[in-house]
Amino acid sequence: MKLPVRLAALAAAALVATACTPQTSSNSASDTDDQSGTLRVWLFQEVGNTPKEKVVDSVVTAFAKAHKGTKVDVEYIPIDTRAQRVKAAFNDPKSAPDLMEYGNTDTAGHVHDGGLLDVTDAFGAWPEAKDTDPTARTSVTVDGKVYGAPFYVGVRALYYRTDVFEELGLAVPTTLAELATTARTIRAAEPGLYGLVVGGAYTYGAMPFVWANGGELAAGKDGSYTSGIDSAAARKGIEQYTSLFSADNCPPAKCAGMGGNDTVTAFAAGKAGMAIGGDFSHTAVEAGAVKGKYAVVPLPGVTAGSIAPAFAGGNNIGVLKSTSHRTLAVELMKALASKKTQASLFDAMGFLPTFTDVRDRAAAKEPFVKPFVQTLAAGTEFVPASPAWSQIDSQLVLPTMLQEVISGRKSVTAASTDAAKKMNDAFGSAG
Amino acid sequence: MNLPRGLPARPWRLAAEACALLTAAVVAFPLYWMVLGAFRPAGEIESGEPRPWTLAPSLDSFRRVFGQQEFGRYFLNSLVVAGVVVIASGLIAFLAATAVTRFRFRFRTTLLIMFLVAQTVPVEALTIPLFFLMRDFGQLNTLGSLILPHIAFSLPFAIWMLRGFVKAVPEALEEAAYLDGASRTRFLWQILFPLVLPGLVATSVFSFISAWNDFLFAKSFIISDTSQSTLPMALLVFFKPDDPDWGGVMAGSTLMTIPVLVFFVLVQRRLVSGLGGAVKD
Amino acid sequence: MTPTTSPRPPGRRGARDGTVPWLYLAPALVVLGALLAYPVYQLGLISLFRYTQAQVSGGQPTVFRGLGNYADVFGDDQFWRVLLATVVFAAACVVSTLAVGCALAVLLTRVRAVPRLTLMLAALGAWATPAVTGSTVWLFLFDPDFGPVNRILGLGDHSWTYGRYSAFLLVLLEVVWCSFPFVMVTVYAGIRAVPTEVLEAASLDGASQWRIWRSVLAPMLRPILTVVTIQSVIWDFKVFTQIYVMTGGGGIAGQNLVLNVYAYQQAFASSQYGLGSAIGVVMLVLLLAVTLVYLRLLRRQGEEL
Repeated sequence: MKLPVRLAALAAAALVATACTPQTSSNSASDTDDQSGTLRVWLFQEVGNTPKEKVVDSVVTAFAKAHKGTKVDVEYIPIDTRAQRVKAAFNDPKSAPDLMEYGNTDTAGHVHDGGLLDVTDAFGAWPEAKDTDPTARTSVTVDGKVYGAPFYVGVRALYYRTDVFEELGLAVPTTLAELATTARTIRAAEPGLYGLVVGGAYTYGAMPFVWANGGELAAGKDGSYTSGIDSAAARKGIEQYTSLFSADNCPPAKCAGMGGNDTVTAFAAGKAGMAIGGDFSHTAVEAGAVKGKYAVVPLPGVTAGSIAPAFAGGNNIGVLKSTSHRTLAVELMKALASKKTQASLFDAMGFLPTFTDVRDRAAAKEPFVKPFVQTLAAGTEFVPASPAWSQIDSQLVLPTMLQEVISGRKSVTAASTDAAKKMNDAFGSAG
Repeated sequence: MNLPRGLPARPWRLAAEACALLTAAVVAFPLYWMVLGAFRPAGEIESGEPRPWTLAPSLDSFRRVFGQQEFGRYFLNSLVVAGVVVIASGLIAFLAATAVTRFRFRFRTTLLIMFLVAQTVPVEALTIPLFFLMRDFGQLNTLGSLILPHIAFSLPFAIWMLRGFVKAVPEALEEAAYLDGASRTRFLWQILFPLVLPGLVATSVFSFISAWNDFLFAKSFIISDTSQSTLPMALLVFFKPDDPDWGGVMAGSTLMTIPVLVFFVLVQRRLVSGLGGAVKD
Repeated sequence: MTPTTSPRPPGRRGARDGTVPWLYLAPALVVLGALLAYPVYQLGLISLFRYTQAQVSGGQPTVFRGLGNYADVFGDDQFWRVLLATVVFAAACVVSTLAVGCALAVLLTRVRAVPRLTLMLAALGAWATPAVTGSTVWLFLFDPDFGPVNRILGLGDHSWTYGRYSAFLLVLLEVVWCSFPFVMVTVYAGIRAVPTEVLEAASLDGASQWRIWRSVLAPMLRPILTVVTIQSVIWDFKVFTQIYVMTGGGGIAGQNLVLNVYAYQQAFASSQYGLGSAIGVVMLVLLLAVTLVYLRLLRRQGEEL
């Protein structure tokens, strides 16, 4: 009976402690800046995590040796739990790490939620930062301030079947229009294959079509954004992408519900002539039936020879606002995101470096990444740096828009108007 | 009760048995597919040929599961959480069920309805209030933050189920016990408790499964100390958004299902005879 | 469990009797009060505020919105469509689960040990499978390209998840698969406890299986069926994982959304706790109403709580 009694006391205490407003957490920046002690780091746990651990271990050992009296404690957290983990860390600064890896589309949200430390000065004074590619820099920047260091980038390009192209005497498409005709030719000749496998829930597969046509997700800066998804240019891109969902390329009944991973799976299984996949999809495709029978090129743009702007995904490393080891944490952040570490991580895990020079060296060493590096060099796009983005993303605004068009429920005009309205609502409420 | 009572005539019985076996096959097929997926070599799950067997069974997926850091630790933690939840909620529910069935008092019906209502709360909605509660209790990052909410969430159902079992114990027995000079405590623990034990076993199955399979609380309350994590968290590693490892998911799920099946087989007899008590009047 | 058994009359064991039930109830009340009632109170409170992660940890002011969150919920056309779909879908799940579970429970009493144990074990396996995995496996089985079901049924590459109703049907099958074992095992145990003579008398009278169930078994099993029905209603109304995994978060253009997934997608995934709590409160009230109506109906039929 001891436990219940104790619980009753605790419950009573909790009742008294809370007045009539919901609880909040005082997650203010810590005043202390200890020069020794234990630094805690959260990194994402990949499926084959051992090579990543090895690289990180060597960085951490060197760091501890260089900074007397410090210990570094690295924890690998499953990606699927990161949302809850990060919220919990913001809510309970005592449990929070000093540094963490986070998805680059979350930057603005984490800043808004009061979680990340402004490291603008340290980043500016860091000599290596001058080689950071501009999109990667955008992905750590909110309202002109820097909140972390880019860790690696992920970008998508066009995978195609060399054997199918050879058999049908096809040339690699050089424009988006050619891409569509090539796709239909493949499907007509090989009815068992999707020409270009596309997904109605594959936002980052669709966006290059919008960007290539001159459209934008949203326009604006410094906190106030307006959706650009209902502009004429964006609509042209949406039209171009959704028209690929037809019986003569990728039947809506099967493709409307697909996400990015499903399209890659279909390609890897040999069910498609082409697919839009990431550098991170390489392993899955290599393990599939098409091993040795495919190649990758940048996704073409509207005019011949151009490359459609891709979405620059990837991860960053940031320092948490609640850290009590500010200086050390920033140093460790630089060590973990340094050129040297990124080069070793590329060798170990295939993560694309965020420094242009390191990336070029990687491409020279490993021909496979060349089209991805070319895509990055041609200029990439990023999601709006607004906390509203996480809301737009989780409310599936863009997939819903695409699927409404694909399934014939709404016209491009109507669907994009509705999507723009939902986006603007989100921008307005998150402001 | 063990006599083959009420068994129908031979041809009908055979038809019924064929029907039962067919249903069992249909029900077990997804399970078979899961286990098969765990043994398939890399890439075969995603291949275009859905063969109901695999040509090259491989233990790679299981190796990936076991190769995770502290897998054994997670397994043990899960056992501790499920075990404590089963025992604590069973005991607390037994007392509460006795109160609401063997006594008449004000607010009795209200309480019963409250217990029912308690189950209708969407768990996801409660995560934030529970988080602050666990923080104030100092239970964050400990197994306590998983055990306490699970006890609370399995109690209402356990009380409702146990009511029937407690009720089934004849009044006369209680009278006789008191006439023999037994104290209330003695009656409660030495006479009533053993009689409703099968019922407790039955309800324990439900609390066991919900505590064993849950990862919402583990995701939200175990923040800084992964050594306090549970088995389902090990499974989550394989759900990578861009490149899920289905072999690992299937192997992990197979491993998670086995202890529950073992638990079922152990309590199966008790479960069947025990649940029956709920209607013996 | 029937009106004939009256609970112990009060006060027979002396004056202290009044406190004894409360003593027995104390641990349960403490646990439920602290870990369920108090969070539910917080839930109601939160639903009245503008309360997102930015308020929780970002230092933004927590603004009192009154019924603003509820107005947002009720003002969304999609909410009403989702609510209707949830009610119909949950009802279909409850009815199918109960029908399958009861039918198989009766079947179990008609067969010998080996088939019975086989079916029981298969069912328990289905019950024990984690919901995420169960949903994933079912999706694999019905995949138009990679799944064996279409091959066996000769459906070619028919997609089960594209049409609204076929997607709901597929999810319903999975829900029934993982929740009928609970009903089957419980009801089977109940039937086992029905005195043999009653059943023998009924079959000697030449009553059909259906008649025996209707007029003999069902009334005797009513207490168990009550608990099982209420449980199924609560579980199926709150179904989340199956819809989320199998329809890719709510189906093509949100056609397969149910309330719990809707609440997650609109609110919890982007940490809008105020809005999410409002949806949670609405669900709570709805379920409460359904349960109370059901209990009242039972009471009218002479069932005592």
